[in-house]
Amino acid sequence: MSITVNIHQALRHITNNQATVDVSGVTVGECLADLVQRFPDIKAKLFGKNGKLLNYIDIYVNAESSYPEELAKPVKDGDKLSITLMIAGG
Amino acid sequence: MLTAQERERYDRQIMIQGFGEEGQEKLKKARVLIAGAGGLGSPAAIYLTAAGIGSIRIVDHDTVELSNLNRQILHWHEDRGKSKVESAKEKLVRLNPDVKIEAIGDTLTEANIDHLVTDCNLIVDAMDNLPTRYLLNKAAIEKNIPFFHGAVYGLEGRAMTIVPGKSACLRCVYRGVIPEEKFPVIGVTPAVIACIQATEAVKYLVGIGELLINKLLVYEGLTMQFTELRVKKDPHCEHCGQRARKE
Repeated sequence: MSITVNIHQALRHITNNQATVDVSGVTVGECLADLVQRFPDIKAKLFGKNGKLLNYIDIYVNAESSYPEELAKPVKDGDKLSITLMIAGG
Repeated sequence: MLTAQERERYDRQIMIQGFGEEGQEKLKKARVLIAGAGGLGSPAAIYLTAAGIGSIRIVDHDTVELSNLNRQILHWHEDRGKSKVESAKEKLVRLNPDVKIEAIGDTLTEANIDHLVTDCNLIVDAMDNLPTRYLLNKAAIEKNIPFFHGAVYGLEGRAMTIVPGKSACLRCVYRGVIPEEKFPVIGVTPAVIACIQATEAVKYLVGIGELLINKLLVYEGLTMQFTELRVKKDPHCEHCGQRARKE
Protein backbone atom coordinates (compact mmCIF):
# COMPACT_ATOMS: atom_id res chain seq x y z
CA MET A 1 0.00 0.00 0.00
CA SER A 2 1.61 3.22 -1.09
CA ILE A 3 -0.16 6.48 -0.35
CA THR A 4 1.30 9.83 -1.36
CA VAL A 5 1.01 12.60 1.20
CA ASN A 6 1.19 16.19 -0.03
CA ILE A 7 2.91 18.21 2.65
CA HIS A 8 1.77 21.79 3.15
CA GLN A 9 4.51 24.32 2.54
CA ALA A 10 4.49 25.44 6.14
CA LEU A 11 5.47 21.89 7.19
CA ARG A 12 8.08 21.10 4.57
CA HIS A 13 10.98 22.18 6.74
CA ILE A 14 10.16 19.09 8.79
CA THR A 15 10.15 16.75 5.79
CA ASN A 16 13.54 17.88 4.47
CA ASN A 17 11.73 20.16 2.00
CA GLN A 18 9.97 17.22 0.41
CA ALA A 19 6.63 18.30 -1.05
CA THR A 20 5.37 14.71 -1.06
CA VAL A 21 6.12 11.69 1.08
CA ASP A 22 5.03 8.12 0.29
CA VAL A 23 3.58 6.31 3.29
CA SER A 24 1.76 3.07 4.10
CA GLY A 25 -1.57 2.45 5.78
CA VAL A 26 -5.17 1.49 5.20
CA THR A 27 -6.66 4.52 6.98
CA VAL A 28 -5.78 8.20 7.10
CA GLY A 29 -4.72 7.69 10.72
CA GLU A 30 -2.32 4.88 9.83
CA CYS A 31 -0.83 6.93 7.00
CA LEU A 32 -0.27 9.89 9.31
CA ALA A 33 1.23 7.58 11.94
CA ASP A 34 3.70 6.33 9.32
CA LEU A 35 4.51 9.94 8.41
CA VAL A 36 5.12 10.76 12.08
CA GLN A 37 7.38 7.73 12.42
CA ARG A 38 9.56 9.07 9.61
CA PHE A 39 9.41 12.72 10.67
CA PRO A 40 8.67 12.78 14.41
CA ASP A 41 8.67 16.60 14.60
CA ILE A 42 5.55 16.73 12.47
CA LYS A 43 3.46 15.11 15.23
CA ALA A 44 3.11 18.29 17.27
CA LYS A 45 2.13 20.22 14.15
CA LEU A 46 -0.74 17.83 13.36
CA PHE A 47 -2.01 16.43 16.64
CA GLY A 48 -3.06 17.78 20.00
CA LYS A 49 -2.09 16.18 23.28
CA ASN A 50 -5.34 14.21 23.14
CA GLY A 51 -4.18 12.51 19.94
CA LYS A 52 -6.81 14.26 17.82
CA LEU A 53 -6.02 16.32 14.77
CA LEU A 54 -5.61 20.00 15.60
CA ASN A 55 -8.67 21.97 14.57
CA TYR A 56 -6.79 24.02 12.02
CA ILE A 57 -5.52 20.96 10.15
CA ASP A 58 -7.61 19.47 7.37
CA ILE A 59 -6.95 16.25 5.52
CA TYR A 60 -8.16 15.71 1.98
CA VAL A 61 -8.18 12.29 0.32
CA ASN A 62 -7.96 12.57 -3.46
CA ALA A 63 -8.93 16.26 -3.12
CA GLU A 64 -12.06 15.45 -1.10
CA SER A 65 -12.51 16.54 2.49
CA SER A 66 -12.16 13.65 4.92
CA TYR A 67 -14.05 15.45 7.72
CA PRO A 68 -15.54 14.15 10.01
CA GLU A 69 -13.79 11.11 11.55
CA GLU A 70 -10.79 11.89 9.37
CA LEU A 71 -8.41 9.43 10.98
CA ALA A 72 -10.73 6.48 10.40
CA LYS A 73 -11.24 7.17 6.69
CA PRO A 74 -10.10 4.22 4.59
CA VAL A 75 -7.50 4.72 1.88
CA LYS A 76 -6.28 2.49 -0.88
CA ASP A 77 -3.13 2.03 -2.88
CA GLY A 78 -2.40 5.05 -5.06
CA ASP A 79 -4.53 7.50 -3.07
CA LYS A 80 -3.25 11.01 -2.47
CA LEU A 81 -3.56 12.64 0.94
CA SER A 82 -3.23 16.38 1.31
CA ILE A 83 -2.47 18.01 4.62
CA THR A 84 -3.73 21.61 4.63
CA LEU A 85 -3.48 24.29 7.26
CA MET A 86 -6.11 26.92 7.77
CA ILE A 87 -5.07 30.32 6.44
CA ALA A 88 -6.79 33.61 7.14
CA GLY A 89 -4.58 36.42 5.86
CA GLY A 90 -6.05 39.17 3.76
CA MET B 1 -31.32 51.49 -18.82
CA LEU B 2 -27.69 52.12 -19.60
CA THR B 3 -26.64 55.56 -20.73
CA ALA B 4 -24.69 56.05 -23.96
CA GLN B 5 -21.57 56.67 -21.90
CA GLU B 6 -22.10 53.45 -19.95
CA ARG B 7 -22.56 51.49 -23.18
CA GLU B 8 -19.23 52.83 -24.36
CA ARG B 9 -17.46 52.38 -21.04
CA TYR B 10 -18.53 48.76 -20.62
CA ASP B 11 -18.53 47.85 -24.32
CA ARG B 12 -15.85 45.15 -24.03
CA GLN B 13 -17.54 43.27 -21.19
CA ILE B 14 -21.01 43.64 -22.70
CA MET B 15 -19.52 41.71 -25.64
CA ILE B 16 -18.85 38.67 -23.43
CA GLN B 17 -21.11 35.73 -24.31
CA GLY B 18 -24.13 35.74 -22.00
CA PHE B 19 -23.33 39.17 -20.55
CA GLY B 20 -24.95 41.79 -22.80
CA GLU B 21 -26.53 45.05 -21.73
CA GLU B 22 -28.85 43.07 -19.50
CA GLY B 23 -25.86 41.78 -17.53
CA GLN B 24 -24.41 45.26 -17.25
CA GLU B 25 -27.72 46.55 -15.92
CA LYS B 26 -27.62 43.84 -13.25
CA LEU B 27 -24.19 45.05 -12.15
CA LYS B 28 -25.45 48.64 -12.12
CA LYS B 29 -28.30 47.70 -9.81
CA ALA B 30 -26.08 45.68 -7.45
CA ARG B 31 -25.00 46.65 -3.94
CA VAL B 32 -21.83 44.95 -2.78
CA LEU B 33 -20.21 44.88 0.64
CA ILE B 34 -16.43 44.55 0.64
CA ALA B 35 -15.32 43.65 4.15
CA GLY B 36 -11.74 44.87 4.39
CA ALA B 37 -9.78 47.50 2.44
CA GLY B 38 -6.40 45.76 2.59
CA GLY B 39 -4.56 43.24 0.41
CA LEU B 40 -7.67 41.46 -0.84
CA GLY B 41 -10.07 44.37 -0.53
CA SER B 42 -7.96 46.70 -2.68
CA PRO B 43 -7.92 44.69 -5.92
CA ALA B 44 -11.46 43.39 -5.34
CA ALA B 45 -12.72 46.96 -4.98
CA ILE B 46 -10.75 48.19 -8.00
CA TYR B 47 -12.08 45.49 -10.33
CA LEU B 48 -15.67 45.67 -9.08
CA THR B 49 -15.59 49.45 -9.43
CA ALA B 50 -14.14 49.19 -12.93
CA ALA B 51 -16.82 46.63 -13.83
CA GLY B 52 -19.58 49.09 -12.95
CA ILE B 53 -21.13 47.72 -9.76
CA GLY B 54 -23.80 50.26 -8.80
CA SER B 55 -22.95 50.66 -5.15
CA ILE B 56 -19.99 49.45 -3.08
CA ARG B 57 -19.82 49.66 0.68
CA ILE B 58 -16.28 49.15 1.93
CA VAL B 59 -15.66 48.58 5.62
CA ASP B 60 -12.33 48.71 7.48
CA HIS B 61 -11.29 50.28 10.77
CA ASP B 62 -7.56 50.59 10.05
CA THR B 63 -5.33 53.43 8.96
CA VAL B 64 -2.70 53.11 6.25
CA GLU B 65 0.79 52.10 7.40
CA LEU B 66 4.03 51.94 5.44
CA SER B 67 4.17 48.15 5.81
CA ASN B 68 0.77 47.84 4.05
CA LEU B 69 2.04 49.29 0.80
CA ASN B 70 3.63 46.17 -0.68
CA ARG B 71 0.18 44.71 -1.28
CA GLN B 72 -2.69 47.08 -0.45
CA ILE B 73 -2.66 48.77 -3.81
CA LEU B 74 -5.48 51.24 -3.18
CA HIS B 75 -3.20 53.00 -0.69
CA TRP B 76 -0.19 54.98 -1.82
CA HIS B 77 2.88 56.42 -0.14
CA GLU B 78 1.24 59.75 0.63
CA ASP B 79 -1.76 58.01 2.26
CA ARG B 80 0.16 56.88 5.34
CA GLY B 81 -1.88 57.73 8.43
CA LYS B 82 -5.16 58.13 6.53
CA SER B 83 -8.21 56.00 7.12
CA LYS B 84 -8.02 53.04 4.70
CA VAL B 85 -11.63 53.41 3.60
CA GLU B 86 -11.20 57.14 2.89
CA SER B 87 -7.99 56.42 0.99
CA ALA B 88 -9.83 53.69 -0.95
CA LYS B 89 -12.80 55.91 -1.72
CA GLU B 90 -10.56 58.70 -3.07
CA LYS B 91 -9.08 56.34 -5.68
CA LEU B 92 -12.26 54.43 -6.54
CA VAL B 93 -14.37 57.53 -7.30
CA ARG B 94 -11.62 58.73 -9.60
CA LEU B 95 -11.53 55.34 -11.33
CA ASN B 96 -15.28 55.30 -11.93
CA PRO B 97 -17.36 58.26 -10.74
CA ASP B 98 -20.60 56.46 -11.65
CA VAL B 99 -20.13 53.95 -8.82
CA LYS B 100 -21.47 54.97 -5.42
CA ILE B 101 -18.72 54.28 -2.88
CA GLU B 102 -19.71 54.19 0.76
CA ALA B 103 -16.71 54.24 3.11
CA ILE B 104 -17.35 52.87 6.60
CA GLY B 105 -14.39 53.30 8.95
CA ASP B 106 -15.59 50.88 11.55
CA THR B 107 -14.86 47.45 13.00
CA LEU B 108 -17.27 44.70 12.01
CA THR B 109 -18.87 43.39 15.18
CA GLU B 110 -21.91 41.38 16.24
CA ALA B 111 -23.54 44.69 17.11
CA ASN B 112 -23.27 46.29 13.66
CA ILE B 113 -23.00 43.39 11.23
CA ASP B 114 -26.72 43.06 10.52
CA HIS B 115 -26.99 46.74 9.73
CA LEU B 116 -23.95 46.65 7.44
CA VAL B 117 -24.92 43.58 5.39
CA THR B 118 -28.67 43.78 5.30
CA ASP B 119 -29.24 45.65 2.03
CA CYS B 120 -26.36 44.09 0.10
CA ASN B 121 -26.68 41.62 -2.77
CA LEU B 122 -23.39 39.98 -1.90
CA ILE B 123 -20.45 40.11 0.50
CA VAL B 124 -16.78 39.91 -0.46
CA ASP B 125 -14.71 38.47 2.40
CA ALA B 126 -11.48 40.46 2.35
CA MET B 127 -10.73 40.25 6.05
CA ASP B 128 -7.44 39.33 7.69
CA ASN B 129 -8.72 37.29 10.62
CA LEU B 130 -10.94 34.26 11.18
CA PRO B 131 -13.28 35.57 13.90
CA THR B 132 -14.55 38.36 11.62
CA ARG B 133 -14.74 35.98 8.68
CA TYR B 134 -16.94 33.69 10.79
CA LEU B 135 -19.08 36.66 11.82
CA LEU B 136 -19.59 37.56 8.15
CA ASN B 137 -20.25 33.94 7.20
CA LYS B 138 -22.94 33.62 9.87
CA ALA B 139 -24.59 36.89 8.86
CA ALA B 140 -24.51 35.86 5.21
CA ILE B 141 -26.22 32.55 6.02
CA GLU B 142 -28.84 34.20 8.23
CA LYS B 143 -29.61 36.91 5.67
CA ASN B 144 -29.33 34.58 2.67
CA ILE B 145 -26.62 36.69 1.06
CA PRO B 146 -23.94 35.04 -1.14
CA PHE B 147 -20.49 35.24 0.42
CA PHE B 148 -17.24 35.27 -1.55
CA HIS B 149 -14.35 34.01 0.58
CA GLY B 150 -10.67 34.59 -0.03
CA ALA B 151 -7.56 34.16 2.15
CA VAL B 152 -3.81 34.36 1.62
CA TYR B 153 -0.55 33.36 3.26
CA GLY B 154 2.78 33.94 1.59
CA LEU B 155 2.45 32.79 -2.02
CA GLU B 156 -0.60 30.63 -1.24
CA GLY B 157 -4.20 31.69 -1.57
CA ARG B 158 -7.66 30.17 -1.36
CA ALA B 159 -11.07 31.13 -2.63
CA MET B 160 -14.54 29.70 -2.21
CA THR B 161 -18.06 30.88 -3.02
CA ILE B 162 -20.82 30.32 -0.52
CA VAL B 163 -24.43 30.41 -1.65
CA PRO B 164 -26.60 29.98 1.46
CA GLY B 165 -28.89 26.97 1.26
CA LYS B 166 -27.02 25.54 -1.72
CA SER B 167 -23.43 25.05 -0.65
CA ALA B 168 -21.05 24.35 2.17
CA CYS B 169 -20.28 27.49 4.15
CA LEU B 170 -16.97 28.70 5.55
CA ARG B 171 -17.77 27.13 8.93
CA CYS B 172 -18.35 23.75 7.25
CA VAL B 173 -14.77 23.94 5.98
CA TYR B 174 -12.99 25.68 8.84
CA ARG B 175 -13.98 24.71 12.35
CA GLY B 176 -11.10 25.97 14.42
CA VAL B 177 -9.37 29.25 15.01
CA ILE B 178 -5.80 30.29 14.49
CA PRO B 179 -4.15 33.03 16.44
CA GLU B 180 -4.06 36.45 14.80
CA GLU B 181 -0.51 36.95 13.68
CA LYS B 182 1.65 38.97 11.36
CA PHE B 183 1.58 36.80 8.26
CA PRO B 184 3.95 36.73 5.29
CA VAL B 185 2.53 37.94 1.96
CA ILE B 186 3.49 39.65 -1.28
CA GLY B 187 0.97 41.76 -3.19
CA VAL B 188 0.59 39.44 -6.16
CA THR B 189 -0.97 36.72 -3.98
CA PRO B 190 -4.01 38.71 -2.77
CA ALA B 191 -4.21 40.18 -6.29
CA VAL B 192 -4.74 36.69 -7.74
CA ILE B 193 -7.24 35.66 -5.08
CA ALA B 194 -9.19 38.96 -5.06
CA CYS B 195 -9.52 38.78 -8.84
CA ILE B 196 -11.00 35.30 -8.44
CA GLN B 197 -13.43 36.62 -5.80
CA ALA B 198 -14.40 39.54 -8.06
CA THR B 199 -14.84 37.19 -11.03
CA GLU B 200 -17.13 35.00 -8.96
CA ALA B 201 -19.10 38.04 -7.78
CA VAL B 202 -19.61 39.33 -11.33
CA LYS B 203 -20.62 35.86 -12.57
CA TYR B 204 -23.11 35.54 -9.73
CA LEU B 205 -24.66 38.95 -10.38
CA VAL B 206 -24.85 38.52 -14.16
CA GLY B 207 -25.96 34.87 -13.86
CA ILE B 208 -23.33 33.25 -16.05
CA GLY B 209 -20.86 30.40 -15.67
CA GLU B 210 -20.27 28.03 -12.77
CA LEU B 211 -19.44 29.16 -9.27
CA LEU B 212 -16.86 27.80 -6.84
CA ILE B 213 -19.52 26.23 -4.69
CA ASN B 214 -18.55 23.20 -2.61
CA LYS B 215 -15.02 23.77 -3.88
CA LEU B 216 -12.07 25.34 -2.13
CA LEU B 217 -9.75 26.62 -4.84
CA VAL B 218 -6.15 26.53 -3.67
CA TYR B 219 -3.55 28.62 -5.48
CA GLU B 220 0.12 27.76 -4.98
CA GLY B 221 2.18 30.62 -6.37
CA LEU B 222 5.48 28.85 -5.72
CA THR B 223 4.65 26.01 -8.08
CA MET B 224 2.01 27.96 -10.05
CA GLN B 225 -0.64 25.33 -9.46
CA PHE B 226 -4.37 25.62 -8.90
CA THR B 227 -6.08 22.75 -7.08
CA GLU B 228 -9.77 22.30 -6.38
CA LEU B 229 -10.53 20.64 -3.05
CA ARG B 230 -14.05 19.29 -2.77
CA VAL B 231 -15.86 20.23 0.41
CA LYS B 232 -19.21 19.14 1.76
CA LYS B 233 -21.99 20.86 3.62
CA ASP B 234 -21.75 19.73 7.24
CA PRO B 235 -25.22 18.82 8.54
CA HIS B 236 -24.00 19.67 12.04
CA CYS B 237 -22.44 23.01 11.05
CA GLU B 238 -23.11 25.61 13.72
CA HIS B 239 -23.79 28.26 11.05
CA CYS B 240 -25.70 26.49 8.28
CA GLY B 241 -26.55 23.05 9.71
CA GLN B 242 -29.94 21.81 10.81
CA ARG B 243 -29.47 22.84 14.42
CA ALA B 244 -28.40 26.36 13.45
CA ARG B 245 -31.49 26.78 11.30
CA LYS B 246 -33.77 25.62 14.14
CA GLU B 247 -32.15 28.14 16.48
